[in-house]
Amino acid sequence: MAGEFNRLVIVGGGTAGWLTACVLAARRPELDVTLVEAPDIPTIGVGEGSWPTLRDTLATIGIDEADFLEACDASFKQGSRFDGWVDGAPSDSYYHPFTPPVAGPMAEVLGAWAQRGDGTSFAAAVSPQAAICERDLAPRQRAMPAYAGALNYGYHLDAGKLAALLAGHAVDRLGVKHVHAQVTGVERDVDGLLTQLDLRDAEPLAGDFFVDCTGMAARLISGELGVGWVDRSDVSFNDRALAVQIPVEPGSAIASQTIGTAHEAGWLWDIALPTRRGIGCVYSSRFLDDAGAEQVLADYVAAQVPGADMAALAPRKLQFATGHRERFWEGNCLSVGLSAGFIEPLEASAIVLIELSAKALADGYPHSRAALPHLADRFNALFRYRWDRIVDFLKLHYVLSRREEPYWRAQRGAASVPASLAAQLELWRDHPPAPADFPQVDEIFSAASQQYVLYGMGFPLPAECNGAASDGAAKRLAEIAERSRALAAALPSNRTYLDALIASAHSRAAQGENA
Amino acid sequence: MSNHQILNTADHAQLRVHTGAGAQFGDAAMAALVVPDEFRQLQAHYPIVFRRDNESGKFTALALFGFENGENLFLDGNEWTARYRPLSIAVQPFLVGQAPGGESEGQVHIDMDHPRVANDGEGTLLFDETGKATPFLEDISGKLGVLHAGYQASADFYEALARYELLEPFTFEVPLSNGSKHSLVGFHMIDEDKLRALDGDALGALHAEGHLLPIFMAVASLSNLSTLVERKDAKESRG
Repeated sequence: MAGEFNRLVIVGGGTAGWLTACVLAARRPELDVTLVEAPDIPTIGVGEGSWPTLRDTLATIGIDEADFLEACDASFKQGSRFDGWVDGAPSDSYYHPFTPPVAGPMAEVLGAWAQRGDGTSFAAAVSPQAAICERDLAPRQRAMPAYAGALNYGYHLDAGKLAALLAGHAVDRLGVKHVHAQVTGVERDVDGLLTQLDLRDAEPLAGDFFVDCTGMAARLISGELGVGWVDRSDVSFNDRALAVQIPVEPGSAIASQTIGTAHEAGWLWDIALPTRRGIGCVYSSRFLDDAGAEQVLADYVAAQVPGADMAALAPRKLQFATGHRERFWEGNCLSVGLSAGFIEPLEASAIVLIELSAKALADGYPHSRAALPHLADRFNALFRYRWDRIVDFLKLHYVLSRREEPYWRAQRGAASVPASLAAQLELWRDHPPAPADFPQVDEIFSAASQQYVLYGMGFPLPAECNGAASDGAAKRLAEIAERSRALAAALPSNRTYLDALIASAHSRAAQGENA
Repeated sequence: MSNHQILNTADHAQLRVHTGAGAQFGDAAMAALVVPDEFRQLQAHYPIVFRRDNESGKFTALALFGFENGENLFLDGNEWTARYRPLSIAVQPFLVGQAPGGESEGQVHIDMDHPRVANDGEGTLLFDETGKATPFLEDISGKLGVLHAGYQASADFYEALARYELLEPFTFEVPLSNGSKHSLVGFHMIDEDKLRALDGDALGALHAEGHLLPIFMAVASLSNLSTLVERKDAKESRG
């Protein structure tokens, strides 16, 4: 199709750049997509946890699930487990699984759950997934069609390997042009729209639309266009992380969920891949110094990874500013990934925001200059809303805590709680989180997510739940218990699944060589 | 050939069984033994035919999946493309064993050499951590019970068919659109002329004994012969 606006230029080649390139090239074959990246610029692995949305995204761009799992050293992620967030007691643990609670009016379900009184957690009562996570089981059997599961799931993955897989796929299969060159200058026209990039030792690269995936440098959206930054550190305190990767024994169990463990001034992530565990300590430098954080990390590793030699691990130090652009789309330039914003990876929002941005651009790609301001307004309104919802939802994990350390008390300080979150909490004393509380079509954290956190952390049930337990709700909870038993019997362990997958990939490769 | 064991929690606590469909699990068969109690479910998908054992002279019923040995036209890779699978297939690799010298209830046995027995960590567990039967095994036990009762009751059914001479041999030509032909021989079907000629007393007696419904289900099931030919045709044209 002949068009005025078909030259799409993406600057930066990390997960954000390549995922955007793949989605746009797959969804908009009329586009002429070029990705330019400077040689030898290290990329920051943005998050090693994905949402279930990544299945759809990978299927859309035409990558086979087994190939993806093998290439990215990936495992299945079925949700998160939060340890120590309520009061830090040994039994303090709850799940936020990806599979939503059993259907039916939530007040009735909560009433039926309360009536049981057998100590079953909310997540275990309303979804089979917690039982499956407890047993380190996979969400699917290998014989199932690709990207389908008995339970909802995303992935844990090696972000560097994902970017490499996407790059190969984009260039070899989707016709994306890959230019290795440093951007030395940016040309703009009289309207201020970007027109071309000057490159070191290469021809200038002209384009109609530009995507800034240059990470925290924000070369185009900030450096060139001067779009401002909205600081959210007043709500989200954490600004540093120490990260280590620890090899695991062959055959060791692979956890089905990201484990987030609260500590005195932040939390630790623990992500299990087939060959390693990624563990990191996220903290607020206002409340904990680097040495303190290293000690927290060392204590966790010593307790959770027997045999690991902490002295041999050199933690990588990360500093980050929490916030996002005032506008993500300016003129004919869209920022995607770290150039658009960053917040601590508590609910793994980095990759999903890239996916949502690429999807929104593919849904509303401009074909003319006249459409630009309208599409920009639409995108900016939607993603400002999404950022606000993310900030609120992450804060929810802190405001429901009863921990008493200064950091945790400060997290509950009224001045740090957004008015929108305070209003939601008022509402949820009246009724359980409901779809009507979240009016967007592609709501980033659904009512289900809010329910898992609220009732996982012991938020009081609204009065309407008392005595609301219908026979139907009680029956549905009994069905969940039965389904938990059935799935626990039928699903293989993550380790069994992933080892068998690798073995079968190798035998396929060997047959290919012999053929 | 086979290695039957009495199923028990001690020996089979960790045992897993493949529940999916596939030739690798022994599903590539042209027919399966079926019992009159499941004719109603079967007739929605499969032709039901009868075969006489040359030595004993006794009849058994079969659901047909194909026209030649090893051909299962309901098997598409790892999918069984019909909602109902005959009980004798669905219970594999389990079977009902009789306790020695007993009138007692049958025991659940398992054929440890069956390809459905898993040894790679995949497949479905039979017992949970507490030694309780999993929902899968509970379901299998239920099916085995139905199947066992169905076999025991089927002698009466065939006796009634013999009494009224309701079975006749038939040959079925399978014309394919590529011009080739297969024929199905060696099976019996319900003789509709004799069935139609039965008087009220005979029909009443068959009905009272519960045989009339499966007889008519078997008659109705033969319309599936043409859909089976279509499956064969589609498969041949796919190559």
